[in-house]
Amino acid sequence: MKTNLILKSVGLCGAAASLALLGGCATGVQNPSGTPVTEMRADEKGFVQGTGVESQDLVRVADKMARGILSCRQIANATTPPRVVLDPVVNDTRFPIRKDIFLQRIQDQLISQSQGKVIFLARERMAALEKERQLKQAGQVTSSSDPNVQEFKGADFFLTGKLSGMSSATAGGISDYILYSFQLIDVRTSEIVWGGSEEIKKQGVADAVYR
Amino acid sequence: MKPVWACTLAVSLLAAGCATERTRLVFTGDPIVDGRNAIQSGPPRDRVMWEDRMVAAAMRRGLFDDAKVWLDEVLPRIGGIIANDSDAKKARGLFHAESKKSFIGEPYERVMAYYYRGVLYWRDGELDNARACFRSAQFQDADTENKTYAADYVLLDYLDGFCTAKLGADGSDCFKRAQGNAKTSVPPPYYPKANVMVFLEFGHGPLKFATGEYAQELRFRPGAVSARSVLLRLGPQSFPLVAYDDLYFQATTRGGRAVDHILANKAVFKKTTDIVGDAAMISGLALASTGDHNEAAAIVGGLGLLTKIVSAATVATADVREWDNLPQYLSFAALELPPGTHELFVDFLDGSGRTLVTKKATFTIVDPKKDTVVFVSEMNN
Repeated sequence: MKTNLILKSVGLCGAAASLALLGGCATGVQNPSGTPVTEMRADEKGFVQGTGVESQDLVRVADKMARGILSCRQIANATTPPRVVLDPVVNDTRFPIRKDIFLQRIQDQLISQSQGKVIFLARERMAALEKERQLKQAGQVTSSSDPNVQEFKGADFFLTGKLSGMSSATAGGISDYILYSFQLIDVRTSEIVWGGSEEIKKQGVADAVYR
Repeated sequence: MKPVWACTLAVSLLAAGCATERTRLVFTGDPIVDGRNAIQSGPPRDRVMWEDRMVAAAMRRGLFDDAKVWLDEVLPRIGGIIANDSDAKKARGLFHAESKKSFIGEPYERVMAYYYRGVLYWRDGELDNARACFRSAQFQDADTENKTYAADYVLLDYLDGFCTAKLGADGSDCFKRAQGNAKTSVPPPYYPKANVMVFLEFGHGPLKFATGEYAQELRFRPGAVSARSVLLRLGPQSFPLVAYDDLYFQATTRGGRAVDHILANKAVFKKTTDIVGDAAMISGLALASTGDHNEAAAIVGGLGLLTKIVSAATVATADVREWDNLPQYLSFAALELPPGTHELFVDFLDGSGRTLVTKKATFTIVDPKKDTVVFVSEMNN
């Protein structure tokens, strides 16, 4: 009887040891099957997040700025659609970003929502447009109008912006505040005829193994 | 009894058989070749480490487009907030090493990822994004144990302000911070008309090792002794430069980490269970030797064995994975040069002023209003 008990105990210990070994032997591969690609809305938060500029921020800011520009007196009450050129956004945060994407989205929102109340000039395409005009002037390609007449339009307004940030990092976590500010500037007088902004603050605490 | 033994045997066989056959990586010594292989065949948690090493090698070989691609993969991983991660949770657990977590590097390693990306943005003419990278780099050093050493890189503040000055704004605050943090040499005032930015790196960066009874303490030792200063030669002119920043200093002044407490607790647990296990097994043997307490002896001895197994399974080892081809010293010079082709010679000097190696950088300035970025490293890989 006592011998049986001893054997039973040793057996149980062996089983426990094996279980411990087995537990430690697991492959430890996270999500081995992977996650299939799913399409998301641009304004939706994904499972990859940081405290910097993300797509949902871009959508939120661009939508707000577009609505603000359309309600601006100089745009809403203009007798002829004003012409706007995009001036590069200045990044004054700690996050490297694709700056042109902000203005591109605002431009796209305005074009689709303004029903022709605002016209954008494709200044980034000037080199290609000038080359086409030269070909027409040289007679190398056909033209539906006199290519020697200056028809490139001048801008009435510049649309530009600035991203400014404040960041802090302590043992308690990381926080980032970004102020997105945009302006519509009268090219003739340099007056700021419209200004809009949006501020977004994010914070998080990393896992202890990363602090 | 037979079912118990049968189960034990079955589980043991399972345990022996389930050890996964890992692909054995063969290293050539070329960081880019090894990195590609490791990313394809090695553990995903080491990916950032390998990409970091590939970046440094690519920068030194002039493969800037490749370096950009890898850095744009690295930066989102090291710049995000990693929370609710199962590997990180395991790394905190008793039975997994700290190296179970995905590697993102210690602060000085993350600083260098942002620094290199900043250099590349400058090279592409995106000064505000370059500035953002230098700021993010400095930010990585913001949470030190001793606040004296928080965000104390000289070059990062200096370059932040230089970018600001070149963008037409006031970089004087950054310049003052850089001056305040300068240890061996103070950088010169900004010269916004400068159109050639020379980024220099030399020496061999810090190396990690683990110490303590269970290798639970992360420590750093300096890299191989190498260049201590540089001499730039451009035609008849020469410009001596010393380092503005020392990565070994930065690594060793960051102070303790939160995970150090976790590892220390694991080490205590490991030691305690080891001692308790020994005591229990000895007690069991003593009881068995009397001949009158065999049952108690078996139980006590069995518990002792179990405790010893738990102790053996506890892993308190610190993570010593590292970006092993970093430089030790960073320096910088800004020059104003006319259009045309120029040859810049960089002599890397040891502590006594003897030239260890000379590198030549040839570059052509087409538009003097656009900055030309020259990157020169003492190392080849």
